[in-house]
Amino acid sequence: MAKKVAGLLSCVTVLALVVFSPQAGGQQKAPATRAAVSGPKAAAKPPAVSYAERFAAICAACHGANGRAADPLVPVLAGQTSLYAITQLFLFREGRRSNPAMTAVGKTLTDDDMRGFSDYIGTLPAVAPPAPAAPPDAARMAKGRALAEQHKCVFCHGADLAGGQQVPRIAGQHEDYLRDTLRGFHSGARPGYTQAMVSAVSQIPEADLDTLAYYVARFPAGK
Amino acid sequence: MKQVRSLAVLAAICGFGLSALAQQPPAEEPGWAKGRPKANDSAMKMAPVPAFPIPTSADKLPTPKFKLPPGFKVETWATGVLDARGLRQGPDGNILVSSLFVANKVYAIPEKGEHKAKVIIDKMPFATGIEYHKGSLFLATNEKIYRWDNVDGKLDNLGEPKVIYDKLPGGGDHSWKFLRIHDEKLYYEVGAPCNICDPGQWAKIYRMNLDGTGLETIASGVRNTVGFDFDPKTGDLWFTDNGRDWFSEELPNDELNHVTKPGQQHFGYPYCHQGTIPDPEFGWGKSCDEFQKPAALLGPHAGSLGLVFYRGKMFPAKYQGAMFIARHGPWNRTKKYADVSVAWPDGKGGARVEPFMTGFVQDNQYLGRPVDFLVLRDGSMLVSDDHNGAIYRISYGK
Repeated sequence: MAKKVAGLLSCVTVLALVVFSPQAGGQQKAPATRAAVSGPKAAAKPPAVSYAERFAAICAACHGANGRAADPLVPVLAGQTSLYAITQLFLFREGRRSNPAMTAVGKTLTDDDMRGFSDYIGTLPAVAPPAPAAPPDAARMAKGRALAEQHKCVFCHGADLAGGQQVPRIAGQHEDYLRDTLRGFHSGARPGYTQAMVSAVSQIPEADLDTLAYYVARFPAGK
Repeated sequence: MKQVRSLAVLAAICGFGLSALAQQPPAEEPGWAKGRPKANDSAMKMAPVPAFPIPTSADKLPTPKFKLPPGFKVETWATGVLDARGLRQGPDGNILVSSLFVANKVYAIPEKGEHKAKVIIDKMPFATGIEYHKGSLFLATNEKIYRWDNVDGKLDNLGEPKVIYDKLPGGGDHSWKFLRIHDEKLYYEVGAPCNICDPGQWAKIYRMNLDGTGLETIASGVRNTVGFDFDPKTGDLWFTDNGRDWFSEELPNDELNHVTKPGQQHFGYPYCHQGTIPDPEFGWGKSCDEFQKPAALLGPHAGSLGLVFYRGKMFPAKYQGAMFIARHGPWNRTKKYADVSVAWPDGKGGARVEPFMTGFVQDNQYLGRPVDFLVLRDGSMLVSDDHNGAIYRISYGK
């Protein structure tokens, strides 16, 4: 736990340095990096800043250069849609979703930044989780699969739990992050962009939410 | 393998294969998904997509692409109004703008100058139903109706409101509000808490005194109206009603309805749709002849929202006394469409409808989505667009 807190603090420190430094995330971008920004909006008009580079400078310290960091409480961004990403940046900027590091970042974002970062995140391919040290508990996986069917997770997240549009990819997300998120929706502490998750999990006991997190984090790819 | 998984999921949904979980009832599906054909992959992929959280910048708005009848002109009137929904005339030369799922705000926009929106109410989910009347501001969320008194000159600092009504059902399905004040009564609706279900005591239009007392039912069997107004000639209430989903791509139509006997008419939901189609589940044992027929049909899944009678003098005579209707466009129909339509009462209980402002859809994608109207004192008309967070102004002549 102490390690997690230290990790979070170091992230915040890096963020503070990067976000509030006038040199960082700035305007002076090498033309070569512009090509790294794709997405329909960026293509229509060459951006003044490269969000690939800004992502590397600001976001990668916590989220990883490829969008999948090892920290179990930092969500995986690899494989998320642009629309999901922008809804969450919006909630941070509005002060509805709470997280010290992201609230600090959110306050600095212009509308163009929100589009730029989320379009860039939308280009990050999904990254499979590292192979587990021990095989998953078969009974717990079976219970998790039954719960996912019972509570209709696939209705919105898709049969492969890969999400789409405003719905996040949850397959392979960190278990700790999933568990905290589900519990947050359950208690009301975590707001959604829509009411979908709050109403979906309001009647599910916490123990079952934890089982769902276990299962979804280890969701077998390709099945 | 995917198919096997899907079948397993379907079996679970249908109530088979749940023996391991028999101690818990299956979760309720979301209200909007009730009645969705579960064996159809196209339908199963459709879910409501919320509005984008960033307003469209002025140079990217579809304003130059809109088409209107000869002599009419449309211009961008305000931008940067995230999630712009309801429009009402406010005090001190301000236009009031409400929001729905995204912004949680009410804005005031000065009619003079640059039309820059100021937030006057914030962090209020479902801040959608608004009215202003004789110095008082009314706001109806999905849960409560609030009233701020003596707001003239102090929109910047409204203070604490009175809660004049707190018995709205809340929730997320058809729970947002549209308000009108007519003859010192406040009119609002409570939609069905689902796509198709027995709505219990809801699916009605109501009115109350301006202090929240004296609740009366004005119309029943109304699935979800998000737009109504009173004919200035007759005083009769006309309203749009959104038809049920998942029946088919092409049916049923949204309805334009005309209340001729307040409190005594039932407009069909959930038993009969568009006046002619008995519901395949709830219609048994009923006949569409038992219910009030619509005055006109407004298209399948049209998302018929705001309705206003044009009381101005700027538009040509044929539009004076006509109704403008915002067709926001379908979210769950393969082929998209959206427009501002105009309707004329035919004097025999029906109405004639035709498109007025088009150009909201290109390559089956929304460029904009109209929501509500406000006729300004000079006779020009504002149209809100929640897709772009923008407001347009339609004028005629010079």
